Amino acid sequence: METTTKARGLSEKKKTALSAYLFISPFFILFAIFGLFPMVFSFYLSFFRWDGLSPMTYIGVRNFELIFTDPVFFSSILNTFIIGLMGTLPQIFIGILLAFALNSTLIRYRNTFRTFVFLPYITSIVAVAIIFGVVFNNQPFGFANYILSTFDIGPIRWNAEYWPVKFAIATMVFWRWVGYNTIIFLAGMQSIPKELYEAAKIDGATVGQQIRLITLPMLKPIVMFVVFTATIGSFQLFTEPLIFLGRGLREEGITMVAYLWRDAFVYNSFGTASAAAIVLFFIIIAITAINLLITNRLGRSKKIG
Amino acid sequence: MSKFIKLIAISFLAVVFLAACGGGTDGDTDTDTGTDGDTTQEQIGEGDIELVFWEFGNTGYDVLIEEYVAENPHVSINLQNSDMNDLHDNLFTSISAGSGAPDITMIEEAQIERFKTAPQAFENLYDYGASDVEGDFLDWVWNNGRSAEGDFQFGLPTDIGPTVMFYRTDVFEEAGFDSSPEAVSDLVATWDDFEEVGRQIKDSTGKLMTDAGELVYNARRDQATQQYFNPDGDLIMDEHNQIRDAFDYVAGLFEQDLVGDIPLWTPEWFGGMGDGTYATMLAPAWMQGVIKDNEPEEGVWSITTMPEGAGNWGGSYLAIPSETEHAEEAYAFIQWLTAPEQQLKAFEGYGLFPSTPAVYDMPEFLEYEDDYFGGIATAQVFSEAAQAVETVYKGRNFYPVDDEVKEALDNLSAGADPESEWEAALDRINRILERQ
Repeated sequence: METTTKARGLSEKKKTALSAYLFISPFFILFAIFGLFPMVFSFYLSFFRWDGLSPMTYIGVRNFELIFTDPVFFSSILNTFIIGLMGTLPQIFIGILLAFALNSTLIRYRNTFRTFVFLPYITSIVAVAIIFGVVFNNQPFGFANYILSTFDIGPIRWNAEYWPVKFAIATMVFWRWVGYNTIIFLAGMQSIPKELYEAAKIDGATVGQQIRLITLPMLKPIVMFVVFTATIGSFQLFTEPLIFLGRGLREEGITMVAYLWRDAFVYNSFGTASAAAIVLFFIIIAITAINLLITNRLGRSKKIG
Repeated sequence: MSKFIKLIAISFLAVVFLAACGGGTDGDTDTDTGTDGDTTQEQIGEGDIELVFWEFGNTGYDVLIEEYVAENPHVSINLQNSDMNDLHDNLFTSISAGSGAPDITMIEEAQIERFKTAPQAFENLYDYGASDVEGDFLDWVWNNGRSAEGDFQFGLPTDIGPTVMFYRTDVFEEAGFDSSPEAVSDLVATWDDFEEVGRQIKDSTGKLMTDAGELVYNARRDQATQQYFNPDGDLIMDEHNQIRDAFDYVAGLFEQDLVGDIPLWTPEWFGGMGDGTYATMLAPAWMQGVIKDNEPEEGVWSITTMPEGAGNWGGSYLAIPSETEHAEEAYAFIQWLTAPEQQLKAFEGYGLFPSTPAVYDMPEFLEYEDDYFGGIATAQVFSEAAQAVETVYKGRNFYPVDDEVKEALDNLSAGADPESEWEAALDRINRILERQ
């Protein structure tokens, strides 16, 4: 009751401001509890040794020393980049081609195909990892090994060898996300005026020329968006390696997030996990800055051109 | 304003109406089953003292609890069942945060090691008279639930998973051996025999002796009197030769192709049980169900003792987190639940293998035969194994260390050099331990 009388005492402008703040407050309150606090706390934690159960002990930069002397940490960074590139670059090319095909008037049942291409995205990630676990099976009768055997290539240990692990995980990422990106590209392509294609056809342009000279330049902002989200997505790569490799997370396929998860929840070493999280934080900032720089430059050249 | 009052009145009525619909009371026990995510909960009894009990798996404890609350009407038990990993994660979080822990919790044998670093979060069961029942349990099970110093009991043991040798009678017969459990037990009395029989089976049938290096290694590791750590917490696996012997033994089997590269829980592993890809499997009592699911034909698989002793895989403890306000009542309940009479019922109902040797002499237990395994008294084979397990100190980092050894074994199956794999595993293990 008191608050209402107080509110009555406020001026109309302040009242509007107050209600506006109230309306946006749920996000900020939730963000403060579940976003900001954990972030700040992991900065704090990275200078402590803590197993989650006993009291914390301050150990200075020892956690950072530990992770920077751990070759697996560097492998995890390298793996994240390699798998990220292997998983997302082909996505962009194939995604554009698929979107172009779905956008063209030549194909029948377009809506059906659009649905199909998007389906992998809504599949449970655990189911995906299990199915791919069968495809990339170490045994000679595993699907991938069987196909390779017809080319006289011996069975590959997909979850233990350096490149095969990365290839398998990248394939999983590709399969799951290519449909999503295709739909994004498709949305972008549909905003390109049809007249441009018609004019090009009248001038005798081939399909290849149409893609290269009309679709791609017009699609630049969409490509930027996809590259952005895919970069962030690949830094967060976690479930696929975890389920494909199991809790042991072999060095050949461990990603950064998987590395810090394992430190925290398998080894109960929350200090080193936080330290790794902070290194990841700065890497993401750096990559985002580079991304922004490139985007800005491309944006500018477009204006000049 | 009147609108507001109406709204409140309607909501109030709705709540009352719904509650009335839900409250079907039947005599002395009110069973109210609700579901919260993957956790199911069941309120048993009407006593004023409510004990929240977290459990995982298929224990059948609800039936036993109904018996208990009928005898102890002042207690009611809120039984919450969830996934095993979720339960331990939730327990870890609630202990770490200092709130949210139940009155009684089940802790899996592999997980209890890490909770032992938090004695402040649990009641010492010795304070409630656990020393009176200590003698009822197998020594090694009891000791695994106790602090390294031996003065703090974290939990009362429920079930255990004594390991034996499951074997395929058809493969043994094809290789020209007598396939009765006694004969196989004599034939494979030592690990050298195991290797020799493996060679003969390979020569005459072309089949593998066993599924994967992991279970052979586990079997040999469990027979070691010293494993990875000493009670002071120092890593000793490189200072005595028992673990190294186990590792080298598996490496030898890999070199001769006697053991497969068939990881556990994969489709080819399940399939192999039915196809007879491998002749033996060194596995615990609870694996019986898995085998039965994958090989429907009776009398193909049989059970005998493992070479040179036994081991244990699985089983649980019941612990009382310190947050509880009813530690006395909680202890009285878990002592009752883990007593031999109740363990026999849990065995008969749900196959939970008892941790109290008194059950092993009970007639119902001795007469327990299984046609599937050729009509032998399977419970007796397992109880012999249970009594042959060694007490050994594991330490809180046991499982992370064990995982690294398993990774090395996995590399061996691909033909890696044992010496360098051992060194690499030690290197990884030391990096994990530095963090603690």
